[in-house]
Amino acid sequence: MSDFLRDLFPLLWSGLITGCLYALGALGLVMIFKSSRVVNFSHGNVAGFAAFLIYGFSSGLLLELSWGAAVMLAILAVVAIAFLTYAVISPLIFESDLTATIATLGIGLIAQGATLLIFGADIVSLDLPIPRFGASVLGLFVTGYDLTVLGVAVVTIILLFFVIDHTKLGVAFRAISENPFAAEVCGLNLRRIHLFSWVVAAILGVVGALLIVPTTFLSVTTVAAFMLQAFAAAVIGGFASLPGSLLGGILIGVLMNLFSFYVSPEFSSTFLLAVILLALNMFPNGILARVGGSRV
Amino acid sequence: MSDHPITLNKSESLLQRIRFGAPDLPVFALVAALAVLPLLVGGSWLFALGVCFANAIGVLSVSVLVRYGGEVSIGHSFFAAIGAYAVAVLDTRYGLSLLVSLPVALALGIISGILFAWPSRRLSGIYLAVSTMALALAVPEIINNMDWLTGGYEGLYVSQHVVPGVPMSLQRYYAALIVLAAVVYALARLRNSRQGLQLLLAKAHPAAADAFGTPRVWARIAVMGISGGLAALCGAMLGFAGSTVSPSGFTLWSSIFLLVGSVVSFYGLTLPRALLGGAFLTLIPQLLSASGAWIPVLYGFALLGVILIGHYLPRLQARKGKA
Repeated sequence: MSDFLRDLFPLLWSGLITGCLYALGALGLVMIFKSSRVVNFSHGNVAGFAAFLIYGFSSGLLLELSWGAAVMLAILAVVAIAFLTYAVISPLIFESDLTATIATLGIGLIAQGATLLIFGADIVSLDLPIPRFGASVLGLFVTGYDLTVLGVAVVTIILLFFVIDHTKLGVAFRAISENPFAAEVCGLNLRRIHLFSWVVAAILGVVGALLIVPTTFLSVTTVAAFMLQAFAAAVIGGFASLPGSLLGGILIGVLMNLFSFYVSPEFSSTFLLAVILLALNMFPNGILARVGGSRV
Repeated sequence: MSDHPITLNKSESLLQRIRFGAPDLPVFALVAALAVLPLLVGGSWLFALGVCFANAIGVLSVSVLVRYGGEVSIGHSFFAAIGAYAVAVLDTRYGLSLLVSLPVALALGIISGILFAWPSRRLSGIYLAVSTMALALAVPEIINNMDWLTGGYEGLYVSQHVVPGVPMSLQRYYAALIVLAAVVYALARLRNSRQGLQLLLAKAHPAAADAFGTPRVWARIAVMGISGGLAALCGAMLGFAGSTVSPSGFTLWSSIFLLVGSVVSFYGLTLPRALLGGAFLTLIPQLLSASGAWIPVLYGFALLGVILIGHYLPRLQARKGKA
């Protein structure tokens, strides 16, 4: 029993850390979905492209910049990509959200191809400029990386929720996700709010990618694969709830960790499939949705 | 999708002709031309065309789901893998030819389509798309971990003859062509059948279909069964015409490519459209084999281009009509 507990706490802790990252990815997906009813399948590939850009800008492959400058430049590039993406698919959004969703797959393919063309299929490593540090707290081994991830995630999420809850832009965002037609009648500019959510989502994606890459390495598929857990997190949250996707991210992080430790690390994608199907059946509107019937 | 009403009407008039006995000459001519093609070309082209026919079936399976179910799938590599491994496993472990394994593949595909449709019967739109994505992601992992059956990473080689004495390259070509033609014929019959009309009604007016005795859930499960079965046929023919079956052929990307093929063929269910989609998936990688990174870029642009054409073309025509 004590063995079980000794294993359990570190597993929960590391699950929480990766869960925060999944939540960052999921928040971006949900912001886009809430405002424009589009599932952005290019999210992972564009964030992966950005991670490669940071590598290229800071390693001397493209430019020789400091880490901070490289990140700023990559974020600029990603914002430009978000603008471009939105410009291409915005006429589709107002016609059929499913068509617009398929179009984002096209953007994702282009982003992946561009990564391959510029950086090749090699594996590179991209570390965070943080001090190496580790300490034992209550039987948990906590590293500087863990604290960085937790700190960045908490600050980003608080900032995001503050903007959405207390600024004019946030009020407009909520109005549009509740009822786009009424919001437009009241004089809100739908496209501007859509663009706001696309840009914020892109930046969240870059932050998530930057934080996840040090745990593994950077290849064409790393970040795209990571974003797939973010999809699962968003689904658990009902795809239209920001707090839900936060909770979903942490839940996915912890569950995946427990599953790969106690059951089998080889079937983690199958487990993810089961979790998604189960969640969609039991909580079709997300874990935080109120239970109720529909009006006939 | 935006182009549905227009293109559906077109195929209706075409099928009307079939119903009244006038054979659809261009399609027969196309099949005849493809049937005599091995006299003219050979070797690698024959092989590529066989794979192209198999991919055309896969494109059809995605298009059926779009047309009859109104849903988009990026998980059809799952059903294709089931068909492919049914053929390959029966071939290598039991020495059974395609004559036995093809019906098995079809049945397994239909069953797994239904099995997937049941838990996802209430999902639609993007929710279904995301769960099919999860389905596609699980495929390579399952294949690799069942290596006692599937051969793991290395895959299996399909070599049993269907007709003894005929060169294998011709068999691979003709088997794929015959199955593709049969699928196209079956889909044309489905469009005219009472069941097909019920499915279309359930998609267009769920409440009306419910009132006429076709519950929405039943329609969804039927469409997923048909689509899964077709995808399994695609996988079976990919295995037979392409001679090898390995997990790298059934990733999320192969599912997305099937969707790209379906979009590029404007979700058409006719033979020329299916061939267009299949050729897009087979011949472009072959032409670009020297520079593989351009393939996703090209597919991405083609996908966007076709979607944008589908969006803007009707508007431009309407404007021209007014002027």
